[in-house]
Amino acid sequence: MRLTESEETSPSPSIAGPSSKSFDYYSTSNGRTPSTNGKGFQSSFTNGNGVDGSSGTGTSGSNGVVVEKYGKSAPPRVNLPGHLLYEDLNVDREEFVRLLLQSLRDVGYIESAATLEAESGYSMEEPQVKRFREYILSGMWSKAEDALSRLGIVNEDSLWDAKFLINKQKYLELLEAQKTAAALHVLRSELAPSSSEPAQLHALSSLLMCTEPEDVRQRARWDGALGRSRQQLLLDLHHSIPPSIMIPQRRFVTLLQQAHRAQVRRCIYHNTPLESTPFSLFNDHECNKDGFPSVTTTVLLGHTDEVWSVEWSHDGAYLASGGQDKTAIIWSMGPDSRKWEAHLILRDHLYPVHSIAWSSDDAMLLTGAEHCIKLWDAKTGSCIRTLDEHTETVTAFSWLPDGSGFLSGALDRKIIQWDAEGRKMLSWGLTDIRVTDLAVTPDLSRVVAIGRHVPTSSESSMSRGARSSGSSGDGSTSNPSGNSAPTNGITPIETRIVIYRLSTRQVEFSIKLDGELTSVKISQDSQYALISHSPDEIQLWDLRLGRLSCKFTGQRQGRHVIRSCFAGLNDSFVVSGSEDGNVYVWHRETGDLLEVLSGHGPGSVNSVAWNPANERMFASCSDDNSIRIWEAPSPETSLDESGHTDFPVSYNTKGKGKTRQLDGEVENAGMAGSSTRL
Amino acid sequence: MGMSYRRYLHGERVYGCSKCRTHLATIHSMISRAFTGQHGRAYLFDVVVNVVEGEPCDRPMTTGNHTVRDIYCIKCGTTLGWKYDKAYEATQKYKEGKFILERNLLVDVQ
Repeated sequence: MRLTESEETSPSPSIAGPSSKSFDYYSTSNGRTPSTNGKGFQSSFTNGNGVDGSSGTGTSGSNGVVVEKYGKSAPPRVNLPGHLLYEDLNVDREEFVRLLLQSLRDVGYIESAATLEAESGYSMEEPQVKRFREYILSGMWSKAEDALSRLGIVNEDSLWDAKFLINKQKYLELLEAQKTAAALHVLRSELAPSSSEPAQLHALSSLLMCTEPEDVRQRARWDGALGRSRQQLLLDLHHSIPPSIMIPQRRFVTLLQQAHRAQVRRCIYHNTPLESTPFSLFNDHECNKDGFPSVTTTVLLGHTDEVWSVEWSHDGAYLASGGQDKTAIIWSMGPDSRKWEAHLILRDHLYPVHSIAWSSDDAMLLTGAEHCIKLWDAKTGSCIRTLDEHTETVTAFSWLPDGSGFLSGALDRKIIQWDAEGRKMLSWGLTDIRVTDLAVTPDLSRVVAIGRHVPTSSESSMSRGARSSGSSGDGSTSNPSGNSAPTNGITPIETRIVIYRLSTRQVEFSIKLDGELTSVKISQDSQYALISHSPDEIQLWDLRLGRLSCKFTGQRQGRHVIRSCFAGLNDSFVVSGSEDGNVYVWHRETGDLLEVLSGHGPGSVNSVAWNPANERMFASCSDDNSIRIWEAPSPETSLDESGHTDFPVSYNTKGKGKTRQLDGEVENAGMAGSSTRL
Repeated sequence: MGMSYRRYLHGERVYGCSKCRTHLATIHSMISRAFTGQHGRAYLFDVVVNVVEGEPCDRPMTTGNHTVRDIYCIKCGTTLGWKYDKAYEATQKYKEGKFILERNLLVDVQ
């Protein structure tokens, strides 16, 4: 609600303003020059520090002063019962009003603040708090200490802590000014008696050796008297001074921001940066799902058999895919994301392509087919090198985020480290798992490997003794037809998550699970690993604690390698393929299943990948030989709204690579979903 | 069919495909050595992994009529033996659901 014009008239220094003394009081600011209040009133206000000494006490007497000076009638004090803002809500009225006063003064509504103080009887802060703040900001240390003792801090320890902080700043400033003798005096007579931690004192005294001011600043990690260090000191002092005495700066706005962030966290379709998220105080933030990639805009056809993996280049302009037809294809998106084409087809492999990875600079592509790794020039499609070190299926690559090389993992239990040119650097030796996937954390601290546990010979003979029929195997089902009874002695598969420190290659955690683990991805903040787990579960693990923090369910995963990934801005979502042919999307924070996207033909959706350069686009690949690009519905893409669920997919047997834009062009080829291979 | 990794066996003795060393069966799931295949001696196993099964067909054998399927190595496609779907003679019923691997097509992988 806004005031009427006449009520809003601003005081002007030349006319009805408070006494010039009082006005000076306001302009002794902490250096911030606020914007005008829209009425041309351009004085310099303090940033939440201002206390109108003349009217701040809230007594009727000082209100009288205001009345006199402004020539207006001050409102009478309103006496309200109790101390709560609303009877049924546990918000303290005094706290609320004081935050309101702080905000009003911050933006320049000085007169309103005074009126509010008069009407409510509360003052924002005692005048000595404001003076204390000024002494700190202007480096008047003895006055500051003096003011500190008159703030009314009851807790003796807090008072000592506050004194220590102030003297520490004083000491550092003296050192910076190269007044070593004075600094030494502060150290001995003021810091030493008030310090509770000898180590801290020791660190401070070692700074006496510094000869240059820059040296002091660097070693103390302190930005100097002219930097923000005094502001920082005020923030630090809040730990020792109760907030009821000295209100933290911009407290009201801080609370609003917290509310905003909490609303965004709960907004399940949220996929835009916090700064550019519209924020109104009038209603809670909530995105609608229109901005979320949920429709197929392109179907990429080119593979002649099942497509097993998809990976985006880091620049988001290319997509690499690999599968059972023994080829890998590099697809290029084209400038407007509507002109997809099969840019390069890489055909040299003798076996189906299981794994694929882009180099950090997108110049090279790695593909793994059975035990064989090939390194390709991603611009020309020529094979640079064939890496023949593994003896069983290569299941995983992870480039080191610094671009210095990559790791490969395989079912032969080896993890091998290669340089960026594909020369073997070292083998980690036999691990106790057959590695089914691995990933290096973006901060280069850890490697997370997953796989099937290989029992030692004593373990396997023990478990054998326990079995009735005496057969031993690590298969979760006995054979592809699945008709053998469980009495055949096939026990559930035992798997492990092994977390290594990258620098030492030492195992930090080895976590025992059962059920096949088929994919691992690391969050951007290096703290979480997303692991696909059979049957029917995706697990989110906290890497620092080695603890399971969340599970995502709904998708189907039994016998096949299904891969999942983090998705969207700030990894806000989790996406996975599924053996039921759908793509599943969850909200990561709440674990809610948001979308079950249909469109692929019969068979599994094997892998999904979110475009790293476009948070509104992802790709999925399937047993139906196709790759689908998913985007948010928009005027251009909405032609697909007839239902992307039963869009006919045409076979392309030439393998030349073909794409179809779903922009209205009708293509009536037969459904080619069912895969022919056994 | 989707992508799946081959299974690996462990134990005192693991038989693999002689061509590509893919794990097939362990000695602990062997039921009998007294069988004969196209390439000589053959073994009957309770459990065999990493094989693809062909279409069922009726085949007369020395012990009577059987419905069997050929089995192929999942990696290299070599025909390794067969699986019994159905035995017509009551005395041969024990073979149903079991697998024959030809000794000459096997190699010790562990």
